[in-house]
Amino acid sequence: MTISVGPVSDSIASWLSGRGLPLALSEIVAVLVVCVLPVIGIVFPIAGVAQYFERKIAASMQRRKGPMVGAAGIVDLAADMLFFWLPRWKRRVIARRVERLPLLGALLRQVRQWGLGSMAADGVKMFLKEDMVPGGADRLLFRGSTYLALTGAFLAFAVFPFSQWYHMGDPPVAALYLGAVTGLVAVSILEAGWSSNNKWSYFGGIRAVAMIVSYEIPIALAIATICMWSGTMSLQGIIAAQYHPGWFSFSGWNLFQSPLLTLLAGVYYIAALAECNRAPFDLSEGESELVGGFHTEYSGLRWGLFFIAEYSDMLLVGGIFATLFLGGFQSPIGEQWIVSLPPFAEAVVHTLIAVAKALASVGFMMWIRWTLPRFRIDQVMKLAWTKLVPLALFCLFGLALTQLVAAQRVGVVQVVYGRYLSAPVVRMDLFSWFASWVLVGGAIGVVVWMAKRAAPAQTPEMRRLLGKEAA
Amino acid sequence: MNVEREGDFITLSMGPHHPATHGVLRLEVTTDGEVIRACKPDIGYLHRSIEKIGEFLEWYQFVPYTDRVDYVCSMNSNHAWVCAVETLLASSEETKLAIPERAEYIRILFAELNRISSHMVGLGSMTMDMGAFTPFLHALSQREFINDIFEKTCGARLTYNYMCVGGLVRDLHAGAEDEIRAMLKGLEKAMIDFNRLISSNNIFRARLAGIAAVSAEDAVSYGLVGPNLRGSGVDFDLRRDKPYGFYERFRFDVPLGKAYAGADGRLGDCYDRYVVRLLEVLESIRICRQALDQMPPASGVEDDPVGGWCVAKAAQKALRKPPVGEVYFRCENPRGETGYHIVSDGTKFPYRIKIRTGSFTAMSIFEKLVPGLMIADLVALIGSFDIVLPEVDR
Amino acid sequence: MSPVPSRNQSPGTALSFDAIFAKVQVRFPAAGAGSAPNGARWIEVPPPQALGVANFLKGDPALSFDSLCCLSGIDLLKFPAAEKDGPTSDALVCAYDLHSMVHRHEVRMKVSAPRIRPEVPSVESVWGVAGYFEREIFDLLGVEFSGHHDLRRILTPQDWVGHPLRKDYVYPQAYGGVELRREGQTFESGPYK
Repeated sequence: MTISVGPVSDSIASWLSGRGLPLALSEIVAVLVVCVLPVIGIVFPIAGVAQYFERKIAASMQRRKGPMVGAAGIVDLAADMLFFWLPRWKRRVIARRVERLPLLGALLRQVRQWGLGSMAADGVKMFLKEDMVPGGADRLLFRGSTYLALTGAFLAFAVFPFSQWYHMGDPPVAALYLGAVTGLVAVSILEAGWSSNNKWSYFGGIRAVAMIVSYEIPIALAIATICMWSGTMSLQGIIAAQYHPGWFSFSGWNLFQSPLLTLLAGVYYIAALAECNRAPFDLSEGESELVGGFHTEYSGLRWGLFFIAEYSDMLLVGGIFATLFLGGFQSPIGEQWIVSLPPFAEAVVHTLIAVAKALASVGFMMWIRWTLPRFRIDQVMKLAWTKLVPLALFCLFGLALTQLVAAQRVGVVQVVYGRYLSAPVVRMDLFSWFASWVLVGGAIGVVVWMAKRAAPAQTPEMRRLLGKEAA
Repeated sequence: MNVEREGDFITLSMGPHHPATHGVLRLEVTTDGEVIRACKPDIGYLHRSIEKIGEFLEWYQFVPYTDRVDYVCSMNSNHAWVCAVETLLASSEETKLAIPERAEYIRILFAELNRISSHMVGLGSMTMDMGAFTPFLHALSQREFINDIFEKTCGARLTYNYMCVGGLVRDLHAGAEDEIRAMLKGLEKAMIDFNRLISSNNIFRARLAGIAAVSAEDAVSYGLVGPNLRGSGVDFDLRRDKPYGFYERFRFDVPLGKAYAGADGRLGDCYDRYVVRLLEVLESIRICRQALDQMPPASGVEDDPVGGWCVAKAAQKALRKPPVGEVYFRCENPRGETGYHIVSDGTKFPYRIKIRTGSFTAMSIFEKLVPGLMIADLVALIGSFDIVLPEVDR
Repeated sequence: MSPVPSRNQSPGTALSFDAIFAKVQVRFPAAGAGSAPNGARWIEVPPPQALGVANFLKGDPALSFDSLCCLSGIDLLKFPAAEKDGPTSDALVCAYDLHSMVHRHEVRMKVSAPRIRPEVPSVESVWGVAGYFEREIFDLLGVEFSGHHDLRRILTPQDWVGHPLRKDYVYPQAYGGVELRREGQTFESGPYK
């Protein structure tokens, strides 16, 4: 019986056993390396520095500088290290002279503003804060909730497709597994809220559970629709179905196939925001109302683990969004060249692309967070049950119809993508594509126009406030 | 977790340390899930006995304490106090003071600038309570420009101690008028950006529309004043209806609530009060510009304290023996009517100072208004009333 | 926005103090007119009639005092006599500053309560804001307002002893175990004492 999670771990295991390690041990080590590497090498560092980037993005939107810890920058540090025998003031003079060089100096002066020391400062702060468990709190649950949150976030990475040749696992029911596993976060938040012995945390926990459970439905519907469209629940299969062997490989992506899929992408993204407790759905930690919500009583590294779980969740959800709608780890142009690379190179390039897409999605989430105000819990529920679920169902049925019609017109095709063969999928030809955009786009346009007509006109005071007319 | 079972309700203590209560306010809230069944405010955490302290200070020494009655709009509080004392002195020919025209204009100019900066804080805090952190900082950065102007004139950025009985401590600094004009222009643009970002946002409007609508009768009966009163549709503004200073010489509109939120909104809800404050900022900009236009030029004397106490012998003499009697004088502060009921016994110390503030009376309607709201709506309500605790507790 | 200067919205039905006082005195002969040397005038109402006068002032269509601007408590213990060697009072006075939104006129009403058992009827049923004002006067001056739904301290802690705004208030030595004043420190009028 071999212990393996795919070709990568096989190759590592054979290399290790070739070096003299017993086979079973080398297989176990290979599996551990393959499974732990994405988490330790990709997810943890991103979650760690995400706080810094979030603050810098927030600062630029709020027209301020943001974290400036360590803004002395690398020039001062380099001068200190290279000219260590000089007195401090002379080293600073050298540093300022270097910063006045034409191009290099401009770049270095810019880096000075980045305040990269705040990442280190954040980490040190989290480790050094007092680790308290509130009196009267349920000690086991209080401690366990952080671990459960992390578990929920990282379990899903087990099926995340980083590339063709490198992934931890590709079960044929990966999409189903994803939907199941992300629900653990809800349990962990409820656990945190309850065990803190704090009524405000309790409120945060209850709100979070209500919200996450409600938004599981649109997410599950979106995932189910994509599985229907791609003919398979395996994530690699879904990605394979989006392959287009021309130079403009993005035309195969699900986002552009049909307007219903674009709508579904929007539904999924909003529901994903709610799953991550991100603004405008951050009412479970709503700072203005609940102080800290479910994580009020957590300090230091325990809180740090919660926020790592949150950022990993964001990364995961962004990555799944990319997988389902943006072609996963495929590059937007010239994918056929990349997929023909040798395995190691292909793994590196594809992993970079996958992570880049996930990061772009995370950046968009941050952008949204600092722009929009927060919902109230009943508005959140209304949005989920009366707007997102019907919309997702509409997309589901619409896409089923589209598949039927297109299958009869154009027929189904099995796409060969690298080492994967997709399920029989429908490929929209130009006529179907135009027709679907015209039909559905027109219907949506009519609905929007009717809503605009029904909405009351803007009062002159509001127009004056918005600068549309002079005082 | 220990839950005291009072039926199925949870008793929460919101505050005194709470991000949304804008100070040390404690609300004992009894909730049924998210819906509040009862709310009992518990104030007094910031009670500094300013009124009692005033009885031990001479009339002119009380001005810095009026700064701290509401530190967000210090100039307006100063204005109310010095106008009240000047009204008291004006009741007798020996003590009547002649305040220079320029001093009156600068008083109104600075009072309106402080109204703008106070509304920046109030509006910004409200959006922050609703979860939009960015507009708060945009509003505060505009307020910093106003603070810069105040700092150059009187040396302080928050509690100015700038007005004194009889005039002002100092004249405007050199170049103040151009600075103020430039700042007002930038402010207008910034307000348009602010409104496009948040005021017309659907989520924001949905949070505030129809929440805690106060009828006009309730507003008058429960002592709501200022933008809270006008948000309920009552057309009353002290600057226009009981003008003090030179307010009759200015042209400005008084914005009223009109169920601006549309179909979901009601007259006197949180969104109305919010929009009334936004419009008041625009009106204050108008008044500032008119004040700058109408102001008589400076006297040209270096560091001329414009009628200030330091050189106004008349004020010095008058405050040693003011007339016996009492005066109730009210001014339109950003938070509403700030009234000073002062009783003088003819000595140089006030006998009794009673400070009537808008936020204190706004608290009186909480017990009636809050049941039925959700916790998130309570936060919106506190923000829309623009409660500042120093005013409530004095 | 408007082409004409902002106008005072007064409808022109404001009454003078004498007219208001005349109307009140017709209904409540016990009401008197008080005045101060600086020209301030008020309606002096004995405590039992305070609620009736308040209801009349609010309810009468020509008066319509629907807004209680300010309710302040004044301790007359150290107030000088009107004439030299004249009688002084040690009463606790509640001064009601009323304003009418309808007619835009104002009046002041004063209710004097004796120091020993100061009791004044609560006007909370007339003007809702009086609830808080009366709690403040009860807290700081000790006047009991009968008929108030929840008369307890509002600004000082619930277990505070004494009524701070009274002129004969003795500052406590300690509260909650914390020393509050230095030995021999007094709080007379005037600075630096």
